[in-house]
Amino acid sequence: MTMDRAAPKIFLTEQQIAKRVSELAAEISADYQARKSPLLLVSVLKSAVVFLADLAREITVDVELDFMAISSYASEAPGQRSGETRGVRFLKDLDQPIAGRDLLIVEDVIDTGLTLHYITRSLRLREPRSLEICTLLDRPYRRLVDLPVRYQGFTAPDDFFIGYGFDQRGRFRNLPYLAFADEEAS
Amino acid sequence: MNNQGAEEERYAYYRGRKPPRFVTESEREAARILDYYRIPWMYEPRTFILEQDEAGNILEAFTPDFYLPELDVYIEVTQMKQSLVTDKNRKVRKMAEKYPEVRVKLLYKRDFMILARKYDLTLPM
Repeated sequence: MTMDRAAPKIFLTEQQIAKRVSELAAEISADYQARKSPLLLVSVLKSAVVFLADLAREITVDVELDFMAISSYASEAPGQRSGETRGVRFLKDLDQPIAGRDLLIVEDVIDTGLTLHYITRSLRLREPRSLEICTLLDRPYRRLVDLPVRYQGFTAPDDFFIGYGFDQRGRFRNLPYLAFADEEAS
Repeated sequence: MNNQGAEEERYAYYRGRKPPRFVTESEREAARILDYYRIPWMYEPRTFILEQDEAGNILEAFTPDFYLPELDVYIEVTQMKQSLVTDKNRKVRKMAEKYPEVRVKLLYKRDFMILARKYDLTLPM
């Protein structure tokens, strides 16, 4: 595979990720095995999609998938006046009602927790039976908003990453491992 | 309408009485981020006394930049200069000793960079 860059420094190998994903999936499967309705795995597009795909295939209880997309801080809403107050909003909402469902939000990385705070606050208003969080990478030392993260893959250093869903200007998401990004190129 | 008034209008989730008077661009960007995430915030609502002499004169005080009433947490935005970061870290540590019930979190340059990378922020630095 040609990536037009020098070999990146690896943070987590494909094998290390696969092992941890299996462990997380086993833990999740055990926790939800007694539930009657399928567990709904919810992912926020786009970086968590690779993790979600691997995790979902390792989970042994019945699951359904759904996706959300939230607005970019920098993007202007159509018809919005310059200087008008902007706020985070769902660009793509869930395709189904979640009242009474068991939800597991699958994230790529949690830093300040601001994004997830908004998402969980919004979803809890819809009265799911339960709502838990699973993240591949976590930087708890960066947290501004306290969030109960039930399933945590790895505690990550303060670096930017590429691969395994993480991108650099849209590229490198398909690398099977997690590598340190070249910050000069960001 | 002066600039201060315009700034007051721009922040939908500002909960203070007087318009905020930001000292740095980092503080202004932090206010925009909080507003973006629909998190109510106040600007420098409280000063904490860290040290007094025997006569009661204040020798050292600390005024965190933001207070988030819904989350009951203070946020201090750090500067780029390492000396200022070090000083703020020291004050936050001292705060934790003197006011253990008050939660203060630091928002570092790195946090802005992470948010910038994820959400295409225009960085103030």
